[in-house]
Amino acid sequence: MIIKAEDRIRATLRADNTHIRLLLAHPMHSGRQLNKDNMLDNAEFIQDIRCWRNDNEVLVIKCGSGTSQNPYFSFELADGQVGDTIAIRWVDNTGAKGDMKAIVDS
Amino acid sequence: MINKMIDIERRILIKKSLSATTIAMVVASGLLLPQRVLAHWPTKAFNAETVEDVLLALLGKANISSSKKLNFSVGKPAKHIVNGSSVSVEINSELENIERFVILVDNNPFPLVMSMDFSPDVLLPLKTRIKLIKGKSQVIAVVRAGGKLYMTKREVRVDTGGDI
Repeated sequence: MIIKAEDRIRATLRADNTHIRLLLAHPMHSGRQLNKDNMLDNAEFIQDIRCWRNDNEVLVIKCGSGTSQNPYFSFELADGQVGDTIAIRWVDNTGAKGDMKAIVDS
Repeated sequence: MINKMIDIERRILIKKSLSATTIAMVVASGLLLPQRVLAHWPTKAFNAETVEDVLLALLGKANISSSKKLNFSVGKPAKHIVNGSSVSVEINSELENIERFVILVDNNPFPLVMSMDFSPDVLLPLKTRIKLIKGKSQVIAVVRAGGKLYMTKREVRVDTGGDI
């Protein structure tokens, strides 16, 4: 299944902390669900998401197939300033990868 | 002359296509899967079928204290959820030094939904979305902070299950 949407990331400074919102475009098939043709789709789900701030790894998320389609995460990082780079990388069980970057704005 | 050129090009093309198909076969056979990344994914915990097995595989034998220090909410509105394919989950806590945060759903075929490793920089609240199976189930949050484990549960009822 092809999802035309793109991964999105937004990083803003809120009350001196960096607030990050993350939306990945991914079907997250568990491999146990019948599709329209009564066939099983192959399992395809993100397993590993990592977040860096200025080359420091801050968060590692391991996902199973119970994570919803188009996974969404929102969290805060202590301190930070406008202009920091936030980098995300993900890998799914088929080996597909994605990465993106955002600059913290006010 | 022209014939000879075409012949050479044809041979090169055949060679190239051969190598391309062999590479494709090797890739399909799974020999070139990213082993390093797969090794980091806790397969045993994610394939466990009961909550106890997951906790044992992921956190080891430890006493878990049920805690009111975790502020955990599932779904909007809470308790009764119409669509289980995307249920919002929010966790908040005043605990310090949180190292790991785990979400489980006891009635899902594979209870472990996600496991997060925090660096000291990460602050709560954290929001995400999960899939839930039809019917009643307990959504469980386990937090390891300062070497101790804290757990809290929320019971929810779901009308339409997600594709788990």
